[in-house]
Amino acid sequence: MKKKVISAILCAAMVSTMAVGCSSSDSKKDSKSDKKDGYKVAYIARAQEDSFAAWLADEMRAAFKKTGDMSLEVFDGEANDEKENSIIENCIANGYDGIIVQANNGEAQLPYIQQIVEADIPCITTNPRVECEGTGSVDADPYEQAKVNCELALKKIPKNAKVVVLQGPAGNFHSTKRREAWKKEFFDKRSDVKILAEDIANWNKDEAMQLMEDWVQAYGKIDAVISMNDNMAAGAIEAVKDNAKYKNMQAYGVDGTAEACLLIKEGKMTSTGLQSAIDLAKMNTEAMHDVLTGKKKVTDINDNVPAPLITSDNVDEYIQMYKDNGQIKE
Amino acid sequence: MKNSKARDFIHKFSIYIILVAMFIICAIVNDNFLSARNLINVARQLSVGTILAYGEMLLVIAGLIDLSVGSVLALAGVLSIAAYQSTGSLLVGFLVAIAVGVACNFINAILVTHFDVPAFIATLAMQMSARGAALRFTNGQNLLQLKDYTVFGQGNLGPIPMPVVFMIIITIITWYIMTHTRFGRSLYAIGGNEGAAIASGINVKRNKYIIYIINGIFAGIAGVLFMSRVNAGLPNGAVGYEMEGLTATIVGGTSFSGGVGTTMGTLAGGFIIGFLNNIMNLMGVDSYVQQIVKGIIIALAVVADIRSKNKKTQKVILAADDNDDKKEKAAAK
Repeated sequence: MKKKVISAILCAAMVSTMAVGCSSSDSKKDSKSDKKDGYKVAYIARAQEDSFAAWLADEMRAAFKKTGDMSLEVFDGEANDEKENSIIENCIANGYDGIIVQANNGEAQLPYIQQIVEADIPCITTNPRVECEGTGSVDADPYEQAKVNCELALKKIPKNAKVVVLQGPAGNFHSTKRREAWKKEFFDKRSDVKILAEDIANWNKDEAMQLMEDWVQAYGKIDAVISMNDNMAAGAIEAVKDNAKYKNMQAYGVDGTAEACLLIKEGKMTSTGLQSAIDLAKMNTEAMHDVLTGKKKVTDINDNVPAPLITSDNVDEYIQMYKDNGQIKE
Repeated sequence: MKNSKARDFIHKFSIYIILVAMFIICAIVNDNFLSARNLINVARQLSVGTILAYGEMLLVIAGLIDLSVGSVLALAGVLSIAAYQSTGSLLVGFLVAIAVGVACNFINAILVTHFDVPAFIATLAMQMSARGAALRFTNGQNLLQLKDYTVFGQGNLGPIPMPVVFMIIITIITWYIMTHTRFGRSLYAIGGNEGAAIASGINVKRNKYIIYIINGIFAGIAGVLFMSRVNAGLPNGAVGYEMEGLTATIVGGTSFSGGVGTTMGTLAGGFIIGFLNNIMNLMGVDSYVQQIVKGIIIALAVVADIRSKNKKTQKVILAADDNDDKKEKAAAK
């Protein structure tokens, strides 16, 4: 009896969920039919749990809203290749006018991106770029983002300095490319600099903090932290923030997060290469609009957002940017 | 006779012998290991994991589990920071974290006790929901500018870091619960044989609620300590921390099949994992190798657990056979 009641409740819940789902999609259809020449675009985000991906998705929504003639549906790939591939298949079946894919793993999504091309739906890959014939791409160049830091580090990091290196997840395209830039643009040119330790902290602040706490005990003095993103740099800084010996330690990151800007302002972090979600969203929106309105072919889209270096000289303008979008409160 | 006493002693205190041996080996292989600063570091680093391990220990002893603790920690942590930022009160922030931990675990308990959902599935569902809620609430962004909130994770009470103070208090509370209360003793009975526990008059359902609520309190406190230690509200932080807690619990001698485990064993397990992480970082062992080593340690701990259980079973069977023989002889006489 108990089981029957539970299954009846579950069935009722399913039916009502479907009813709500249908009614909401009806209302979307109605609102879309009100718009003349409304284009329906899908954006498949890599993972909403990734703070940068979440920020990018928000900026995408905002940028599409401003266009007036395009509507955007955002889907979450949950950092799972299979999930992301299924969403791509569903978007093709649902007949979107255009699809923007933020791949979780370029190789894994490639066959599905090819399916979008075969279905004659304009497709843009973004952050990261996926090399696939028939698509366009808008990305931030990870090599360039690290390179701008390297140029400053060549001048600022003292002779015979001892440094530690923090990497993102193993095999991650952006982490690998940023590390490659540090090798070619800095370490190969500064053979006097010694890498005391190097490890993966998976983009995470807490993991980087623990590594740094242990490295401080193991090596005593560290002149600079070379981090492949800002979160990990912030973790390393947190580990030594009350240690007078590390008052002059330098720290380099990438992303230009709100936290990194605050740390640069406080003088605790040296620089970061901005990966602007605002710029990425704006360029993706403009590119998709140009393609859908016939101004450009999708294959003509191959853009990179600029990677400006944020230092104490220009940090105020970025802090203002984060105040405007609410990430920094005061 | 002497040999069997020595064997019993080694068996009973094996986890502490391993801990001491490990401490000595770490001190020998790396000069920095014994420095006061490093040892304080280790204690600070393992506090959150050990607090979670106590919650897992209570659950595992009673034949339950919690896979949601990392996500609940993150949800409790970010809501606690938001409460602190909007009220300016550390106490409110702290209480909100505990309330969130308790609420999530109350739902776990309802699913497990009233709907007979296996604890593994119920808490897996909570793991997803709590993480989703933390991400939804923060919109996937880190909460910054924590100000005085960092006192919980970065402050000191005299020379002792606050997370360690919390860990010591929770260790004492857990030890007291497990050794001096009927409730604590009942957990062994529930985990050992739930049917027999019910038959002997133990209110199993009520006790399961209490275990989950205690686990929720610990998760809430761990959330405050974690976020305040990293000086940010990380909605995607503490991923996989349920495994950190479970590892310390299992390495500390708690049996995965329930009915066996001690507070001090779990504390020792926490320290073994903490020392292991620390020494590998001090020696520059890369993270791939670290994962391999941790995997081997868990496997060894479980093998040791199964072997000791088999030996106990053999002893019981032999003792029973012996008794039967004596009875038969007595009857023959």
